[in-house]
Amino acid sequence: MLLPVFTLKLRHKISPRMVAVGRYDGTHPCLAAATQAGKVLIHNPHTRSQHFSASRVFQSPLESDVSLLNINQAVTCLTAGVLNPELGYDALLVGTQTNLLAYDVYNNSDLFYREVADGASAMVLGTLGDIPSPLAIIGGNCALQGFDHAGNDLFWTVTGDNVHSLALCDFDGDGKKESEDFDIRVFKEDEIVAEMTETEIITSLCPMYGSRFGYALSNGTVGVYDKTARYWRIKSKNHAMSIHAFDLNSDGVCELITGWSNGKVDARSDRTGEVIFKDNFSSAVAGVVEGDYRMDGHVQLICCSVDGEIRGYLPGTAEMRGNLLDTSIEQDLIRELSQKKQNLLLELRNYEENAKAESSSPLNEADGHRGIIPANTKLHTALSVNLGNETQAAHAELCISTSNDTIIRAVLIFAEGIFLGESHVVHPSIHNLSSSIRVPITPPKDVPVDLHLKTFVGYRCSTQFHVFELTRQLPRFSMYALTSPDSASKPLSYVNFTIAERAQRVVMWLNQNFLLPEDTNIQNAPFQVCFTSLRNGGQLYIKIKLSGEITVNTDDIDLAGDVIQSMASFFAIEDLQVEAEFPVYFEELRKVLVKVDEYHSVHQKLSADMADNSNLIRSLLVRAEDARLMRDMKTMKSRYMELYDLNKDLLNGYKIRCNNHTELLGNLKAVNQAIQRAGRLRVGKPKNQVITACRDAIRSNNINMLFRIMRVGTASS
Amino acid sequence: MDLNLNRADYLQVGVTSQKTMKLLPASRRRATQKVVVGDHDGVVMCFGMKKGEAVTVFKTLPGQKIARLELGGVLNTPQEKVFVAAGSEIRGFTKRGKQFLSFETNLTESIKAMYISGSDLFLSASYIYNHYCDCKDQHYYLSGDKINDIICLPVERLPRITPVLACQDRVLRVLQGSDVTYEIEVPGPPTVLALHNGNGGDSGEDLMFGTSDGKLGLIQITTSKPIHKWEIGNEKKRGGILCVDNFDIVGDGVKDLLVGRDDGMVEVYSFDNANEPVLRFDQALSESVTSIQGGCVGKDGYDEIVVSTYSGWVTGLTTEPIHKESGPGEELKINQEMQNKISSLRSELEHLQLKVLQEREKYQQSSQSSKAKSAVPSFSINDKFTLNKDDASYSLTLEVQTAIDNVLIQSDVPIDLLDVDKNSAVVSFSSCDSESNDNFLLATYRCQANTTRLELKIRSIEGQYGTLQAYVTPRIQPKTCQVRQYLIKPLSLHQRTHVIDHDRPMNTLTLTGQFSFAEVHSWVVFCLPEVPEKPPAGECVTFYFQNTFLDTQLESTYKKGEGIFKSDNISTISILKDVLSKEATKRKINLNISYEINEVSVKHTLKLIHPKLEYQLLLAKKVQLIDALKELQVHEGNTNFLIPEYRCILEEADHLQEEYKKQPAHLERLYGMITDLFIDKFKFKGTNVKTKVPLLLEILDSYDQNALIAFFDAA
Repeated sequence: MLLPVFTLKLRHKISPRMVAVGRYDGTHPCLAAATQAGKVLIHNPHTRSQHFSASRVFQSPLESDVSLLNINQAVTCLTAGVLNPELGYDALLVGTQTNLLAYDVYNNSDLFYREVADGASAMVLGTLGDIPSPLAIIGGNCALQGFDHAGNDLFWTVTGDNVHSLALCDFDGDGKKESEDFDIRVFKEDEIVAEMTETEIITSLCPMYGSRFGYALSNGTVGVYDKTARYWRIKSKNHAMSIHAFDLNSDGVCELITGWSNGKVDARSDRTGEVIFKDNFSSAVAGVVEGDYRMDGHVQLICCSVDGEIRGYLPGTAEMRGNLLDTSIEQDLIRELSQKKQNLLLELRNYEENAKAESSSPLNEADGHRGIIPANTKLHTALSVNLGNETQAAHAELCISTSNDTIIRAVLIFAEGIFLGESHVVHPSIHNLSSSIRVPITPPKDVPVDLHLKTFVGYRCSTQFHVFELTRQLPRFSMYALTSPDSASKPLSYVNFTIAERAQRVVMWLNQNFLLPEDTNIQNAPFQVCFTSLRNGGQLYIKIKLSGEITVNTDDIDLAGDVIQSMASFFAIEDLQVEAEFPVYFEELRKVLVKVDEYHSVHQKLSADMADNSNLIRSLLVRAEDARLMRDMKTMKSRYMELYDLNKDLLNGYKIRCNNHTELLGNLKAVNQAIQRAGRLRVGKPKNQVITACRDAIRSNNINMLFRIMRVGTASS
Repeated sequence: MDLNLNRADYLQVGVTSQKTMKLLPASRRRATQKVVVGDHDGVVMCFGMKKGEAVTVFKTLPGQKIARLELGGVLNTPQEKVFVAAGSEIRGFTKRGKQFLSFETNLTESIKAMYISGSDLFLSASYIYNHYCDCKDQHYYLSGDKINDIICLPVERLPRITPVLACQDRVLRVLQGSDVTYEIEVPGPPTVLALHNGNGGDSGEDLMFGTSDGKLGLIQITTSKPIHKWEIGNEKKRGGILCVDNFDIVGDGVKDLLVGRDDGMVEVYSFDNANEPVLRFDQALSESVTSIQGGCVGKDGYDEIVVSTYSGWVTGLTTEPIHKESGPGEELKINQEMQNKISSLRSELEHLQLKVLQEREKYQQSSQSSKAKSAVPSFSINDKFTLNKDDASYSLTLEVQTAIDNVLIQSDVPIDLLDVDKNSAVVSFSSCDSESNDNFLLATYRCQANTTRLELKIRSIEGQYGTLQAYVTPRIQPKTCQVRQYLIKPLSLHQRTHVIDHDRPMNTLTLTGQFSFAEVHSWVVFCLPEVPEKPPAGECVTFYFQNTFLDTQLESTYKKGEGIFKSDNISTISILKDVLSKEATKRKINLNISYEINEVSVKHTLKLIHPKLEYQLLLAKKVQLIDALKELQVHEGNTNFLIPEYRCILEEADHLQEEYKKQPAHLERLYGMITDLFIDKFKFKGTNVKTKVPLLLEILDSYDQNALIAFFDAA
């Protein structure tokens, strides 16, 4: 049994995920954590005599070994590490919604303080690609930025959505990866090399070793990926607050340590996900880090709870043979084997009883009650598109029916990402039971989903039911219904590309990805198919010519991207250059870009105003105090009145600035997404070219160039 | 001294009932004892442990489900004859397994509880108690509610035969012959009885009881009256008590109290100088502990607690250390034993797997033929649906002998499903179209591997009634599921009690009409929980109830042709009126309903609610302040500058937060009940005041007792 080697209780709250250990003076490891009220606490148990005495840092009144650092803004991310190799000690980096602060704790000075427009919601420190100096990489609103120790912006790229977590990892030699809404994206320097889609928002990532990394989702799932393949995952009803890789059983391979929202900490084997150690805190875990906190040459695993409890664990010694839980392995094994035996015996008994039932009389009423059904009962499932009526919106429909007079009591569908929870239940009332059930399904996104069905089959009066389990795949574009072409409503926007595939293969692709009626018969190329979206009634035209030239007409740029990506993976296309025209979308984007400029200038103006006002305040305050000292109460009063008014103005100004800032962020996100979307219309090398070129165009503020790139895919004419 | 017990699993039999495992007396102190256990397959098995392997002494053929297993014999000799109750039959075996007794009691119901003392045999079926001496019928008693357990004070120490029945209506009934001497009210429905120290304590009259809501107590049963000695509440919200035993496991010369609960907790209490129990040790097993006994099974010289669990595991919690401090050679031997055991298990498994595969194939083939039938294997579910007094919510526990795959919860009444910390299952709520399919709640629980027990918490609303259904699918092939139904009654938050305060202002509802006693009883059963289904004996019957949430009360007295319901809460009367008239109309019975409303009762109920509401409001306010105060504390370094009230909040912060977390939505429920009260008060007057409800909520938001009462009066 592994016990904590030390336990501390700090009388401060610790914000979740914001814990870091650093040697801020080069030798002594200290724990830094964000606490409430925009402060960062630094726990330094080693050098009690040292006192910081400056404006930013002050001694915590509660504990002698804790110093507090005032940030005066909600801390959104925090990390520590070597930013400037020449300094020889670690810097503390604190990110807020608008700023990034690199702080030298030892000398109590700022290394740099940068304004980051996209906010800093995730941060990681380390070297990236060919850039020699360590970078602080922050992820914010659809963008990634890297700063060196001087605060120079050396790295910038965009992603599809807000960044939630960042981790550096040797993906295929050297890479780096990052996650946001449902996707994990892997960047090698600034180009995306891989994307993985998960079913929920990804909250944490951590590198394990080699190309393996752990991840956690907001719905309580944790798991491990090796490159793009998932090794294992488990789901719990609690949320994983923090994950970390640490070799707890001294076998040379890191385990995935997870801190949960209910205060549980567990270590899982990276290969199987099997729990090898667990412990419990009284409150949610805020962070899991590692460091040689006792300064005895051994690295400990340090877990912090939100209530400020800190526990350190030493890795298990060799004698423990990796056996960290208190029960012996043999006992567990015996229990497991006996359980298996019992299950098999039960199953055997079931078959015996079944045989007995079979030999008795034919089906009767009592049998139905006990849930005996004809053995040849089969379950049919069919997926189709239902165009809906007045009372019900259009949807994809799953029809389940039995092959005889048995009824379906209930259907449980387990699928991720398309329902509110992880499951959907259809349970008709006792009067409406029948042998077939129609289940409406409306997937919110165009992704292929596996539907795991559990169907309870029996008779009306049964108290026991047979459970039929089967899995159906919902195709990617299940929310599009085949309609007859109508050239009048044909969308103006289109993408155009050429592939070297026979038309039959395209038909195969259509069959696999759309819910086509059974009697659909598509003749040879050239042909044209038309679909209507069940979500918004938008049209999708796919036209293929003899030459292999394909035109996809749709007003939805995301859909066009999805179609291209789906085709590319189906036909195994590595590089694909696409010509795109989305007049409506481009026009919107143009407006957004204009707005961004406006907001930027407003922002600058407001900042200048604020600076003016603050000068005025200073002088007013001095004059008011002067008047007080001169006992000129009347002047003092009027001065304070003025001050009050000015303060109100400032507050109003602040509110305007805030609104302006949120608007700006929203628009910047739209711009970043536009670049991302333009990229998704291409595959492989052209995709990366588009993103790089677009970024250059934005930097040089060349809007026409930007649209040109989005249209044809290259900057040069 | 710390008590350190290590778990060792011995054997698994079939599913076991409560009190079906015993240890045969040892030949000498601390010598290994044999274990006898009876299961639902009807098999009685006796085994001992030899070198870590279970060696069977005897094993009977399968038969009817065994409900109880007791040891007996001639008084003052070792009690080593095994008696089992199966169906309506009592069988007796010698310790070698020879059957010497087969006694058909001819009871119409199957036996639920049994106690043996010399040649006296005490039996009870659901409602019937029977006393036999040398298999001859002596006494008989019909109980008003279900009998859960039965015991007799030691006849060798007392000059009389005093059987005691533990009945579901929270009462212990002390008998003399065929008559009740007196009744003792206990804090919960008693589920198990045991003699203190195994012999009735110093007086021979000390009786221990455990309740289904997890409380324990000791009562001295004197000839004329009971003397309550001590009681242990259930602070930690653990499961109900299924079995108790006395054994000196600590080794201090005083027998300790061993307790097994239905949530898998095993507890050891030792007694301090004042003879009060103190918790010394607890360990959680994953499933219900059905029987518990102290003794020595695994290795002679080491005491242990032997337990049997619901799915039939016989497990020892032994004082024998796992890590031997002897030479390295011996350790190797132990490992060898383990290895042998594992490899024999493995080979057995392989053999079984082959057989199962063949059978599976056969089963698959049978599905091709059109004549064949497919029967679902039945599995037993151990379920419990009880009302918790503390937070006025229901808890539903489901336990299956094999791991549960998933559970579907469906309800046709609006209820809230609350999270239980102990659960590891992933809950997912499904949207439901309530109009067409009568679904108000559809939720799935996907269980983690090896979960055999699931606990749910449900909050109901009085007046809304219907059925809650649980579809349980275990992880076993062929996959099947079983439905269990639980009734949510109209007055679901009421609980039976035996005394009420008669001085309160009461509202009365009187029913008269052409209905039989059985009919009116069935309506009461329909409306209220904890009422026996069988109409009680006698012509007229009175039941008392208490609302667990508001502490209001209800008195129901009824006989053929008349029923009188009195409550100080108008809402209770209103719900009863609605439900009863609906029920009567359904059965086409002409009912005359008259009611007498006492205006004072509304004020009285509001006054009852007042302290609760005030407490909750204050608590909510305090909890809101905690974070801000803490920040101030961090900023300023001390709390001297705060007013005492705030300092007090800071000191109690943890406690307050815990309290707040324990009662989610408590305030909303109180508001809801006040609103109901308001509507109901005027409903009886014939006015509809639904339009004034927003006004009422406004008053509640800035709560003041007098303003509220004034509003009730004025409106």
